[in-house]
Amino acid sequence: MSTPHSPAAHGGEEIEIALLAPKFEEHAFPWRQIFGYAASLVLTLGALLLVERHVLAPTALLVVILALAAIQAGLQLGLFMHLRESAGATWHVVTLAIGIGVAIGIVIFSIWIMTFKSGVS
Amino acid sequence: MTVQAHPAQQTQMPLEFRDSHETLGILGFWLFLASDVVLFACLFAVYAVFHGRVAAGPTPLQIFHLGPVLTETVLLLTSSFTCGIGIFMMRRGRTKALMAWLALTMLLGLAFVGMEITEFTTDVATFGTWHQSAFLSSFFTLVGTHGGHVSFGILWAAALLVRLWRQGITQATARRVYTFSLYWHFLDIIWIFLFTVVYLSGKIT
Amino acid sequence: MSHLLAQLFPPSVLRPMELGADASILLGGLGIVLLLTRLRRWGWLWREWITTVDHKKIGIMYLIFAMVGLFRGGLDAVMLRTQLAIPNNTFLGPEHYNEIFTTHGTIMVFFMAMPFIFALFNIAVPLMIGARDVAFPKLNAISFWLFAFAFVLFNMSFVVGGSPNAGWTAYAPLTELRFNPGVGENYYLIALQISGIGTIATGVNFLVTILRMRAKGMTLMKMPLFVWSVLITSSLVIFAFPALTVALALTMLDRLFGTSFFTIAHGGMPMMYVNLFWIWGHPEVYILALPAFGIFSEVVATFSRKRLFGYPAMVGSLIAISLLSYGVWVHHFFTMGAGAAVNAFFGVSTMLIAIPTGVKIFNWIFTMWGGRIRMTVAMLWQLAFIPTFVIGGATGVMLAVVPGDYQFHNSYFLVAHFHNVLIGGVVFGLFSGLYYWWPKMFGYLLSERQGKWAFWFFLIGFWVTFFPQYLLGLKGMTRRIYIYPHGLGWSPLNLISTLGAYAMGIGFVILVYSVVYSWRHREPDLTGDPWDGRTLEWSLPSPAPEYNFAVLPEVTERDAWWEMKQEGRSGKVRAEDIGAIRMPRNTPVPFLLGMSFFVAGIGAVFSWWPIAIAGMLFVIALLVSGWFEEHDHHDIPAEEIRRTEAALGRLEG
Repeated sequence: MSTPHSPAAHGGEEIEIALLAPKFEEHAFPWRQIFGYAASLVLTLGALLLVERHVLAPTALLVVILALAAIQAGLQLGLFMHLRESAGATWHVVTLAIGIGVAIGIVIFSIWIMTFKSGVS
Repeated sequence: MTVQAHPAQQTQMPLEFRDSHETLGILGFWLFLASDVVLFACLFAVYAVFHGRVAAGPTPLQIFHLGPVLTETVLLLTSSFTCGIGIFMMRRGRTKALMAWLALTMLLGLAFVGMEITEFTTDVATFGTWHQSAFLSSFFTLVGTHGGHVSFGILWAAALLVRLWRQGITQATARRVYTFSLYWHFLDIIWIFLFTVVYLSGKIT
Repeated sequence: MSHLLAQLFPPSVLRPMELGADASILLGGLGIVLLLTRLRRWGWLWREWITTVDHKKIGIMYLIFAMVGLFRGGLDAVMLRTQLAIPNNTFLGPEHYNEIFTTHGTIMVFFMAMPFIFALFNIAVPLMIGARDVAFPKLNAISFWLFAFAFVLFNMSFVVGGSPNAGWTAYAPLTELRFNPGVGENYYLIALQISGIGTIATGVNFLVTILRMRAKGMTLMKMPLFVWSVLITSSLVIFAFPALTVALALTMLDRLFGTSFFTIAHGGMPMMYVNLFWIWGHPEVYILALPAFGIFSEVVATFSRKRLFGYPAMVGSLIAISLLSYGVWVHHFFTMGAGAAVNAFFGVSTMLIAIPTGVKIFNWIFTMWGGRIRMTVAMLWQLAFIPTFVIGGATGVMLAVVPGDYQFHNSYFLVAHFHNVLIGGVVFGLFSGLYYWWPKMFGYLLSERQGKWAFWFFLIGFWVTFFPQYLLGLKGMTRRIYIYPHGLGWSPLNLISTLGAYAMGIGFVILVYSVVYSWRHREPDLTGDPWDGRTLEWSLPSPAPEYNFAVLPEVTERDAWWEMKQEGRSGKVRAEDIGAIRMPRNTPVPFLLGMSFFVAGIGAVFSWWPIAIAGMLFVIALLVSGWFEEHDHHDIPAEEIRRTEAALGRLEG
C-alpha cells in the first residue's frame, strides 16, 4: 500500500510566475551569517554615531538613519531569513511586499492626516 | 507559463521543505508575520503622532538613555546571529550544535527582556506611569508589545529545545525550528526600527 | 457584596424588556438541554460538532451563529424603527436607544455578516479548488471557537453588567472611562478583540489554502471567481484587522490600565482612534462586499448557463478594489477638518473605486446577455442586487464629494447609503449564496416557492425602509437621535420606513419557516448537482464525504466541472485509483481554547484580574500543549473509502 495522501498531496508546487521561482543557497561555512552580523553591528553603530555627533540637519539625519535601518532590515531578510526559499512559488514575498507597503502607508498617511491644525475645519 | 520544480532539486531541498504538507506551515507563518508588520505599523503610527504630546510628563530627550539601549540592541542583534547559525547547523544535521545555538539565542533573548524590564521599572520610578502623557502611553505600548513578542519567542524556543532533545532533527521539528527562526529575525527587524524611530530620533533635536 | 450585585445588575439590565429576553433565553436554553438529554445527543454533539475540524461542519456552525446574529440584530433594528415610527414616542428611553443601536450595528457587522461569509468560505472553497480540507484544519476550528465564545460574551452584556452604548464604532471620548463608567464598553472591546484574533487566523488559513492546495492544473486564472474573491478578501483581512486590534487594544488600555491615548487630558487625541478604526473600517467594507461579488459571479454564470463574461477584467477589478480600499479611509471623517489637501486626496481616491465596481456590474449584465436564465431564488437575489447596489454606489459617490459630505455627514442620508450597500450588496449576496449552496451543505433544496415569498417581502421591505431615509437625511434628520418632535416634516417618512422594516422582518420569518419546512419535507438530492453547476463542488455527492474527493481531480479548464460534463465524464471514480487518505483528527483543544479566552474575557470585562490571569494561563497551557501534539491526523483505509463511495453510487463499473 502506498503512503496515505495528505490533504495537500501535490498542491502549489507549480510555479506560474517565473519571477516567483524559489532559490536555495547553502555554503560550507556560515559566511553569510557572519557578514550579516558584522554589517548589522556596523550599521547600528554608524547610525548611533551620526546622531551623537549631530552630523546633519535634523530632517536629513532622520532620513539617513531610516535608510540605514531599511538596509539592515533587508540584510536580515536576505541573509538570515532565507527570503527566496520556498516550496512552490514565493508567495510570501508578494504578501510581505504588500504588508510593508500598507505599513508605510499607514504611518505616513496617519502623520499627514493627524496634523490637522491648518486649513478648513 | 508553468515551470515545474526539477525533481533533482527536490532531494537537495533542506529537510524542512521536503514534506509538502509541513511547508504549508512555513507559508502560513510568513503571512502571519506580514500581518504583524501592519500591527507594528499601527503602533509606530500612534507613536509618530503622539511622540511630541508629552503633557506635563517627561520628554523623549529626558527619558532615553542610549547606553543601555545600545546594549539591548547588541544583545538582540547577536541573538539573531546565533539563531542564524542554529539553522546553519540544523541543515548539517548537527542536533547538539543546533540545540546549543538555540539555547544561546534564548539566553540572549532573556537578557534583553531582563534589561528592558529594568529600563521600564526605572523609568516609572523616576518619571511616573504612562498615565502622565500620550507620549509615555505610546512609548511603553510600542516597546512593550515588542518585548511581549520576544518573551513569547523565549517560551517557544524552550518548547523547541525539549522537542529537539526528545526527537532530534526530523521534518516536523526542522520545520518548527525554521518558523521560529523567521519569528526571531523578524523581531530583530522590528527592534532595528524601534531603535531608530524611537530612541535615536528621540535624540535628534 | 452589594457592590458586586450593583456591578453585575445595573438598572439597565433590569428593565422589563431585558428581563423578558432573559426569561426567553433561559427557557430556550433549558429546552435545548432537555431535548439533547432526551435524545441522548450529548455524545454526538461532542464528537460530531464540538471537536470537529471538518471545514464543512465548521461552515455549518458559522451559519447557525450568523442566523442567530441576524435574528438578534434584526430584532434590535425593529425596536429602533418602532421607537422612531411616530414623533415623541416613549417606547425606548434615550439610554436604552443608545444601547440598541450599538448592539444592532456591532452584531450585524461582526456577528452576522462576518460569520456568514466565513460560513460560505468554509463550505465552498475547499470543494471548489479540489482540496480535502483547508491548510490548517485545527486553526480553522480555533478561529471558529474564538468567534463563537466572543459571540456569547458580547451577547451576554445585556443580561449581566449592561450593554455597550457608544455606537458600533465606539468612538472616543464616548468610550472614555470618565464619561462611560459601566462595563458595557469593555464587553465590546474584549469580545471584538477575541473574535478578531480568530479572523486574522482565518485570513491566513484561506490564503494558504488557495495558494497551495488547488487541484492539479487549476492555475490562478482557472480558479472560480468566488475563490478569487476569497483570496483577495483574505489578504484584506490580514492587513486590515491589525488596525482594529490596535484601536481596540489602546481603548482598552485607556479604560482598564490608565493610559492616555484618546483622552483630551494628558495630550491624548480622540481623533487618532477614529483614524485607526477606519484604517480597518474601510477595507472591512470590502471584506464583506467582495465575497458577495464572488457569489454573484458564480450564481449568474450557473443560472445563465454561460461562462462568466470578462473573467480577466473581473479578477483585475477585484485586485484594483482591494488596493484602492486601503487608501480611502478618511472619507469616514472628512468633517474632522484635516485640511483641503487631505480631504481632496481621499475624496478622489474614493470616487476611483466606482470604476472597477462599474466594470463588475457590466460584466454580470453581459453574462446574462444571451444566456438561458433560470429564475431561481439565488438568481432573484442577484437580479435585485444589481440595481440596488448601483444606487447605493451612486449615493456613495455623492458622499465622496467633500463639500457635499459636510452636509450629508451623520444624517439619515448616510444611514440610508450604507444600509443600501451593506444590505443590497452583502446581505443579498449572502442570501443568494445560502440558497445556492444549501443543497451542497445538507443534501436537499430549500423551498423555492417560500424562498420567493421571503425574497419579495425582504426586497420591497428594504426599499420601503431605506428610500425614505435618504429623504429624511436631506430634510435634516440626524443619525442616532432617539426622538423627534411634530412639525419637522419627518413624521410620514419615518412611519413608512418603520413599516418597511416590519416587512423585512416578515421576510426573515418566512425564511426561517422555510428552512424548517424544507427540512421536514426534504427530498434528498441524489445527483449532487441540482443546479447543473459549473465548478468542482457540484461534482461531489451532497453532502460531501469527510475526505471530499476520493481521488483528487485534475483540472484543464476554467469551470472545470462544466467542461468534464461536456466531455461526457461523470464524477465517478475507479476503485483501483483509490488509496488511503490522511485526514486531520478531531480535537477538543479549539473549543477549550475558546472557553479559556471566554473566562479571561469575563475577568477583563469586570476587572477581576485573578480570573483574567487564570484564563490566559489556560490559553498559554493549551498553546504549549499544541506544540507537543504528535497524533493530529488519522488515516482512512482505501477499503473504507471504496465502501463509502460505493454506497454513494460513485464507483465506476
